[in-house]
Amino acid sequence: MIHDPMIPFEATIRWIKKETRDTATYAMKIADRRIARAYRFQPGQFNMLSIPGIGEAPISISSAPEEEEILHTVRVAGDVTTQLSRLRPGDAVGMRGPFGTSWPLDEVEDRDLLIVAGGLGIAPLRSAIRRILHLARRRKTASCPTGKKFILYGAKTPKDILFRDEFPRYRSAFQVHLTVDKADPEESWKGEVGLIPTLMRHVSFNPLKSIVFLCGPEVMMQVFTKELTARGVPPEKIFVAMERNMNCGVGLCGHCLFGPVFVCKDGPIFRLSRIVDFWGVREI
Amino acid sequence: MSQLILWKEDLQQLFHRLQAAYRVIGPLAADGVVGLAELENLSSLPIGHRDRQGPGVYRLENVGDADIFSFVVGPDSVKRFLHPPVQHPYTFRKSRKRLHIASPRAAPQEKPLAFFALRPCDVAALKLLDKVFLESPLKDRRYQAVRDGVFLLAVNCLHPAETCFCHAMQTGPEVRDGFDLSLTELDAGFLVEIGSEKGKEILNGVPTAEATARDAAEKAAKLEASRSRMKRSVPLRALPQVLYNHLEHPRWAETAARCLGCGNCTQVCPTCFCTTAHDHVSLACLAQKEAQWCGSRVRLWDSCFSLNFARVHGGNFRTSRKARYRHWMLHKLAYWIDQFGTPGCVGCGRCITWCPVGIDVTEELEAIAASRNVP
Repeated sequence: MIHDPMIPFEATIRWIKKETRDTATYAMKIADRRIARAYRFQPGQFNMLSIPGIGEAPISISSAPEEEEILHTVRVAGDVTTQLSRLRPGDAVGMRGPFGTSWPLDEVEDRDLLIVAGGLGIAPLRSAIRRILHLARRRKTASCPTGKKFILYGAKTPKDILFRDEFPRYRSAFQVHLTVDKADPEESWKGEVGLIPTLMRHVSFNPLKSIVFLCGPEVMMQVFTKELTARGVPPEKIFVAMERNMNCGVGLCGHCLFGPVFVCKDGPIFRLSRIVDFWGVREI
Repeated sequence: MSQLILWKEDLQQLFHRLQAAYRVIGPLAADGVVGLAELENLSSLPIGHRDRQGPGVYRLENVGDADIFSFVVGPDSVKRFLHPPVQHPYTFRKSRKRLHIASPRAAPQEKPLAFFALRPCDVAALKLLDKVFLESPLKDRRYQAVRDGVFLLAVNCLHPAETCFCHAMQTGPEVRDGFDLSLTELDAGFLVEIGSEKGKEILNGVPTAEATARDAAEKAAKLEASRSRMKRSVPLRALPQVLYNHLEHPRWAETAARCLGCGNCTQVCPTCFCTTAHDHVSLACLAQKEAQWCGSRVRLWDSCFSLNFARVHGGNFRTSRKARYRHWMLHKLAYWIDQFGTPGCVGCGRCITWCPVGIDVTEELEAIAASRNVP
């Protein structure tokens, strides 16, 4: 990183796409060309986005590294994200990053790949999905995963499904299964209703030769990791993306500690076996 | 390592040598406590003072002691100088379409810092802070700027306070490494050990004599007496596992019932490094038409005892005080070992002394470690 990781640089919003009632995707361009050229990220990493005067928030990158623009898919939740939702194309924000670990795409090889997302958890996984699609298109067989590939995605209601228009493209390389917690009465949802583990009955994979990328609310991930280990998936091959209060992004402020690991620096994507002793411990 | 004797009246000369090259920071009594501040001359040291410390108790008394260094540590530590309580990493000026960020160039320091009469626990604490801020892949550049060129003159502890347990943490009462010069106060003079080239160089022109076997024996006897006065013990070899095995021990709730959640322990701890940051917006720039906001980023010491420490939008990972106390103690005595290969506690006893209700971390650890059968 040529830039001091504690000091934000300027980024400009190129365009904004409203995804759902409370979530939008922001395309950013780094203003300084020298910083932009040196900026490299891997799927699963995050940036600290700041609106000076309001504050700073960790936001995962939802685009693939091959793509020109850096996308952030953000739900309105706190002060920073609310202010972000009021901005327009051309407006400037601060950015630091990229930080954290990434999805281990080089570990997939010929394993069956399960990409499991709950709600906004699809955002950092979209980066990995699009990278895989990119690799598949260019037939880079050396690095392209060759096993069965699944996307299991659950949202609250049909209206909350993110990137809905992209799923037809995903189906070219993945088996995509969707579910909603609650079907909207006015919409004619024909798909599955229920929590994400209900999707598991559609999925046939080899647990001993599989790898799982998991991102969603912590409770959902805890339930799902139990389900996976019960099926015989070793915790070494389950990867979870965690959320904690991240303030500095580089492991110096202590806010994101989860047991002995810094979520910002050692994570946010963890091999479950590394954190299994603290996984599910209340208020750790 | 050669050992020398420095006569007490020649300490002044060593001090002047230091002052010529460094900004000398040392112990200074103010407001009834020994703090750290820039020393103008040697006579401002709290000579002849003793600090009486206990759980929740600190009294500084002038006992007219002949020894110069008969006090130990107050609430202040080197942390304040290398990792200041308030920092301003950058300033910003923002209009709708543009954002200008300026990070103040580190002003060339007039002189590097020399810490005078640093205790072995604080030398150990400095080594731990180095691990946190300098051994991480993304190091803290501001810490590094101050840390480079620091001179450490350590003083071995012969009059430990009641709350001291450096012997149990194996960081004292004798400093073993990481110093430039170390002094042990004997009856007639100081036994000097040289820890670095810098230390050797500063002794140039300071009259010293070769130490004899009797001096070495006197030092050993005094340090042994000091060790025997420290009664607290820590089951170092059982860490961190003994704590990981007892995450749900009933003792956590009992301690939390006494703990006020005030965060004093984290503020006086020489190794607690957590910070938070927010934007400070000045009203002054509202007058300027083009600027929508201007201000500075402020980075402050934070405490894991504060309720908002682990808060994210829509939730808080540690709302109970029990969880916050457990988190603090686990970080000090367990997580640190996983993160940095050594406990984050140096045995200085500050958290015991400055806890308003006198919670004693060694007592808590002992209670949890003793009940090995409790799940």
